[in-house]
Amino acid sequence: MRTLKDALSFGDLPVYERIGFILFIIFCLIFPWILKGGFAQAVMIQFLIFCLYGLGWNLIGGYGGQVALGQAKNVGMSAYTVALLMVRWDIPFWVSTPLGVVVATVESFVLGYFLFRLRGHYFAIATIAVSLVWQQLFINWDFIGGARGLELPLKETPNFLYMQFDSPIYYHYFAFLLVMAAILYMNWCRKSKLGYQLRAITSSEDLAESLGINAHWVKVKAYCITGVFAGMGGAFYTMYYNYIDPFSVMHLELSIMIALMTMIGGAGSMWGPIIGAMILIPLDRYLGAWLGGRGIIGVDFMIYSMMVMVISAYEPKGIWGIVEKARGKR
Amino acid sequence: MALLEVIDLTKDFGGVAANNHISLEIKKGEIIGLIGPNGAGKTTLFNCVVGYHRPDQGTIRFKGKDITGLKPFQTNREGIGRTFQIMSISGDLTVLENVMIGSFCRTSDSQTARQGASEVLNLLELEKDANAYLTELTVATQKRVGLAMALATGPELLMLDEVAAGLNPKETEEMVALLHTIYKTKDLTLFVTEHVMEVVMPISQRIIVLDGGQKIAEGRPQDIANNERVIKAYLGEKYVKGRKDRGSI
Repeated sequence: MRTLKDALSFGDLPVYERIGFILFIIFCLIFPWILKGGFAQAVMIQFLIFCLYGLGWNLIGGYGGQVALGQAKNVGMSAYTVALLMVRWDIPFWVSTPLGVVVATVESFVLGYFLFRLRGHYFAIATIAVSLVWQQLFINWDFIGGARGLELPLKETPNFLYMQFDSPIYYHYFAFLLVMAAILYMNWCRKSKLGYQLRAITSSEDLAESLGINAHWVKVKAYCITGVFAGMGGAFYTMYYNYIDPFSVMHLELSIMIALMTMIGGAGSMWGPIIGAMILIPLDRYLGAWLGGRGIIGVDFMIYSMMVMVISAYEPKGIWGIVEKARGKR
Repeated sequence: MALLEVIDLTKDFGGVAANNHISLEIKKGEIIGLIGPNGAGKTTLFNCVVGYHRPDQGTIRFKGKDITGLKPFQTNREGIGRTFQIMSISGDLTVLENVMIGSFCRTSDSQTARQGASEVLNLLELEKDANAYLTELTVATQKRVGLAMALATGPELLMLDEVAAGLNPKETEEMVALLHTIYKTKDLTLFVTEHVMEVVMPISQRIIVLDGGQKIAEGRPQDIANNERVIKAYLGEKYVKGRKDRGSI
C-alpha cells in the first residue's frame, strides 16, 4: 500500500518539476492528434522506447554508478525470444513477452553475478566484450535467422493478441503506458531501500559495505531490474517493427546510445533519461533525414557528436546538472 | 564473556607484518583506546576485525561467534559499526538521507528508516543540518554525520577511526563530549583509534598500544602515559635516555 503511495506521489519534488511532468504527459497524450505525419510519429515512438531503455539503465548506470555497456544484448535476448516464438510456433505477444523479459532478466542475473566481481572500467570493458560475443553468436546462429534476422509474419487483420495494428497510434499509446509504468517504478525506487543503497555504493563501495550493504548483491539486483526494462523495450520493438536482426537489437551502438543518452540528460536523476532521449533521438533522426536526404552523409554525425561533447565537457552531470546549477541547488 | 576477542591475529602485506600475533579482549560497555605511531598497524587491525582484510592467522570472535573472514556488511549485521578517517559520502544526498542509508540496514521500510535516522540526528545535535548537503558542511559536522551513519545501523560495538583528525582543539573537545553522550545513551562499547591524545586519554578506560605491528603495552591511561616502551615508540630512544639522565623518570 505504501509502495503504491510512494510510486504515485511526486510531492517531494519542486513545483516546476511537477509541472514539467504534467506537460510531458499531456504532450504524449495529444501528440498523435497534432502531428499526423508518419515520420514524426515514428520518431516519437522511438523516443518512447529509448525512454524505457534509459529509465532502466539509469538504475544501474546512474543511481548505481556502474557503467554497464551491454544493454543491447538484453534488448536483443528479449526481442529474439518474442520473434522466435511467433515465427516458429505462432505464440502471441502477450505470452511471449513475459518469457522474453524472463530470458533477459536471467541473462542479466548470471552475467551480473560474475561480472560484478570487477569494478570501474574493468566492469565496463567486460560488459562490452560480452555483448560483442553475443552479437557474433546471434549473427552466426542459423536457427534464429543468422545475419538475415527474423521477419514476423503479418496477420491479415489487426490483431490485439499479436499486437498488430493498422495505425501507429496504438503503438504510441502502448509505448506511453510502458514509459509511465517505468517512471512510476523509478519514482518509487528512488525513495526505497534499493535506491538509497545504490547511491551509497556510487559514492563509496567500502563505506556502503560498512553500513551493512551487500554491495555485490545490490548491484546484481539493480542489473536484473535494468534487464527487465530492456526486455520490455525489446519485446515492444519487435512487435512495432515486425523485423529484427543482430545489427538492430544486439549492436554495441545501441548499448552506447542508451548509456550516452542517460548521461547527457543527467545520470542518477529522475528526469535525466527522458530529457536525454528527448534531445538526442529527434536530433539524430531529423538531422540524419535532413542532411542525408541532401546527399551530405556524415555531417549529421559530426553535429550530433559535437553537441554531445560540448554538453559533457560543460557539465559532467548532464543537462539536468545544468538545471540544478541554475536553480542554485549546489 | 568478552564482547570482542582477537586471538593471535597476524596479517602480512608482502614482507611487512602489519599485525604480528596480536591478542586483545574487549568487554561489553568498555571504552578502549588503540594508539601507536604511524604504521603501527592500527588501521590494519581495524580492517581485519571489520572484514576489509582477511587475517592470515588468528581468530576474531564477536559475542562468542567466530567472525574471522566475514565481509564488512556481514560483521555490520552482527553488530559492529565503524566510522572512517576520511568521509566520502555522496554529495547528491542530504544529511538525513545519508543517515537513512545506515538505518536501512535494519529495516526495509522507508518511513521507519527516516524515523530512525531523525532520532540519531537529534542525539548528535544535527537536526538543523538534516536537509543540508554534505559538501556545504564543515569538516567537524561531516565527521558527525559519519558517526551518525554508523550509529544508525544500530551497532553494539562502535569502532571509531581517527574521529578527531583534522579538527581544531575546540571541535575536538565537542567531539569528546559527544562520544560521552553517545556512550551513555546508546549503551555502546567503543573501540577508538586516535592520534590525538586529548581524545583518547580522557575517555578511554583502557588503552592498547601498538608499535611495528605488535602489542607493546596495555593498561589504564595514566600507566600508559608513563610506560617507558610507549614513550620510546612515540618519541624515540634518545628522548627516553635524555629524560633518564635528567632524572625525570
